[in-house]
Amino acid sequence: MGGTLWKGSIHFGETEVPVKLHAAVKEERIQFHLLHLRDQVKLHQQMICAYEKIPVPTEAQIKGFELEEGKYIIVEATELDQTTPESSRMIDVHEFVKTGQIDPLFLERVYYLEPDLYSAGYNELVAALREMDVEGICTWTMRKRSYLGALQVSGGILRLTTLRHADEVIPVKSLGLEEIPLSEKELKIGSDLIAQLTGPFQPQKFENEHQKKLQALIDKKARGEKIAVLRPRRLKPTTADELLQALEASLKRVA
Amino acid sequence: MAVQGIWSGTISFSLVAIPVQLVKAVSPGRVSFRLLHDKDYSPLARRMFCPKQEKMVPPEEIVRGYEIAPDRYLPITDEELESVSPERSRTIEIVGFIDMNEVDPVYYDHPYYLVPLKGGEKPYRLLVEIMHRTNRAGLAKFVLAEREYLVAVKSTDGALALTTLHYHDEILSDEDISPKEGKVEALAVGRMKKSIKTMMADFNPGKYADERREKVMAILKRKAREKGTVEAPAGENVEGEGPPDLIAALEDIMREVEKNR
Amino acid sequence: MSQKVVEIAGRRLSLSNLEKDLYPSHGFTKAHVLEYYRRIAPCILPHLKDRALTLKRYPEGVEKDFFFEKRCPPHHPVWVETAEISRDDGERMTICLVNNLETLIWVENLASLELHVPLARAGSPETPDSMVFDLDPGEQADILDCARVALILRDLLSRLGLECYVKTSGQKGLHVYVPLNWTGTTFADTKTFSKAMAIVMQKNYPDLVTEKMAKEHRKGKVFINWSQNDSSKTMVCVYSLRARERPMVSFPLEWKELERLAGEGDPARLQVTHGEAVSRVEHMGDLFGEVLVKKQRLPHL
Repeated sequence: MGGTLWKGSIHFGETEVPVKLHAAVKEERIQFHLLHLRDQVKLHQQMICAYEKIPVPTEAQIKGFELEEGKYIIVEATELDQTTPESSRMIDVHEFVKTGQIDPLFLERVYYLEPDLYSAGYNELVAALREMDVEGICTWTMRKRSYLGALQVSGGILRLTTLRHADEVIPVKSLGLEEIPLSEKELKIGSDLIAQLTGPFQPQKFENEHQKKLQALIDKKARGEKIAVLRPRRLKPTTADELLQALEASLKRVA
Repeated sequence: MAVQGIWSGTISFSLVAIPVQLVKAVSPGRVSFRLLHDKDYSPLARRMFCPKQEKMVPPEEIVRGYEIAPDRYLPITDEELESVSPERSRTIEIVGFIDMNEVDPVYYDHPYYLVPLKGGEKPYRLLVEIMHRTNRAGLAKFVLAEREYLVAVKSTDGALALTTLHYHDEILSDEDISPKEGKVEALAVGRMKKSIKTMMADFNPGKYADERREKVMAILKRKAREKGTVEAPAGENVEGEGPPDLIAALEDIMREVEKNR
Repeated sequence: MSQKVVEIAGRRLSLSNLEKDLYPSHGFTKAHVLEYYRRIAPCILPHLKDRALTLKRYPEGVEKDFFFEKRCPPHHPVWVETAEISRDDGERMTICLVNNLETLIWVENLASLELHVPLARAGSPETPDSMVFDLDPGEQADILDCARVALILRDLLSRLGLECYVKTSGQKGLHVYVPLNWTGTTFADTKTFSKAMAIVMQKNYPDLVTEKMAKEHRKGKVFINWSQNDSSKTMVCVYSLRARERPMVSFPLEWKELERLAGEGDPARLQVTHGEAVSRVEHMGDLFGEVLVKKQRLPHL
């Protein structure tokens, strides 16, 4: 469990439950920097004025909404904050929905909620949500940003998952995919194949092997050894005509 | 120019290989802002800057580097990165199928769609359909840029959705979080349930997106009315009148034009 | 409101709100707009091809608010060709390329009456394939003054060995294009060149021309806007409708026609309506075709 990121209170009707937010995920990645090819000096990112071609410090940067080409409405950061609900420590629940209604595409980031000191009602809220099989849709403001989220129960604890907004999620129908007829036989063999290849989800079995190999490559190069460059290969695609044959061969292989 | 996705390659399960490309499933919302210089309202450009030479560095002079000691960097080329796991940089190989309900959403990282490339339409359709019928998702590993991802590929509304998953060791434990005291006050639970009942609805995310956008748009409209817009100067400052040769030639021609009028 | 599904090149497209009055004072509906673009498509498509489209959408018609969008709407069909470009501030952006009829119709179904494109193609955003002089009349000046300036510019350019082409802006001005189509050209070149010409013009015709953007300098004069020669700028595409009260078109004119019309002195004759546009291209084809292919190099740089 990570440290407390933020404190607030879940609020709806007469209910108020003070909680502390904790991160649920911690990512560790090999970190690269950007270098100048010539002298290997680490580069810094700067904002450059397109007109004067000079670096512009943060205090001289302002925000504009481009209304028309080259024409901007200037907006102060403080004005945009007014769009967020009044900065308070409230996680306002607006409504409850049956679990399973939220398309996973909307889910962004999970936080664990810990009962704050002397917090009453935490266990009761867990019980109520679980027994009714619902989650709460809520909004709150954290570090000057407003969030939309789902209040959920998992095991004995509450979670807050931030949700993407509807205008950020691209619907499948916009992909314009075609309907292509399939034979019952293809579907039957395909489904059997999946059944044969199904197992439990065991995330602990998967390691980031690439990360280790990458570290090995870095170490090797740091020692001054030569790196062999390997080219990726592309698999030969299965054509529509070969599909049934490929499925049958697959099934034979796993059966 | 062809349609550009984030990545293109093959998704495979057992002996079936489907050419696909990876496309975005989420994108920024409509209202976006630019950073401007407060002095002349010129838009700002993000550039890499060399502190030693005090100048901007063009993209072709930039290379990735790994810090091996303080301020000492080892440059790593794109080709070298790709050769770390070459087989996984062009193929999403489904190694097994799972019931998606077994995956705790805490594992979800970032969503994408896969769309079929030419010739892959039928096997793509088959994978969509059989995963839908069996209610299963495929698990695979693949490498995008400098990272390897564990991914779940599932069928959704007739398309393949690909979600990158966090690795097990990236998930923090929630063990210390559960309240020490296990007691539950039945009366309080009942009260909460009563309030929840009055607040039941169907999930309608559009409502929240619209509210947010409307609030921002209202501010913009008010600002436009009160203060109007500012105009950025022409893209770049061109000094002086121009090359002397050109100006001289133009002046000569101008005299001729005048004479003939 | 009506909904209609059409199939173009095997793509199914659902068209909506067809009877919406987009130009209310002329009863010109969304159906009319779609019909105009369908008929003008053979001429306009080559000029839109592979260029990052800026949409100017008027869902409630020309009298109401518009949306200015450089980003391709995320809900686009997968067959719409797009390109990923890096905006100057580093933000990645997906833009639309109107490379075929179905995309043009899709874009018009979004009520994007005006189509604006850069002077460079998306694959080579820093290489302009033409240089432009955007002639914009200030208060108390009109399109006839623009015509005078355009004719002088043509003479100047021709003595420099450069051919040029002219189109109406579809509003009050004219646009003079100098085709380049040479990969060695940069926007710095076209900007330097066009600015020098504007300055020389201003010196020699101080009562007619200004090269200064500020409004107070523009009264009674034609502003030669050389600063449009920039990778971040777009021009309204030839054959695009304009979102004015009447459905006018940005339309190419022959030089001798411009000479004649300038002589006649009726500014209204220099405006081309949607109907006239369609019948004229049927007779004369694409007068702006050379802008896309003619190779020329700017001298004295």
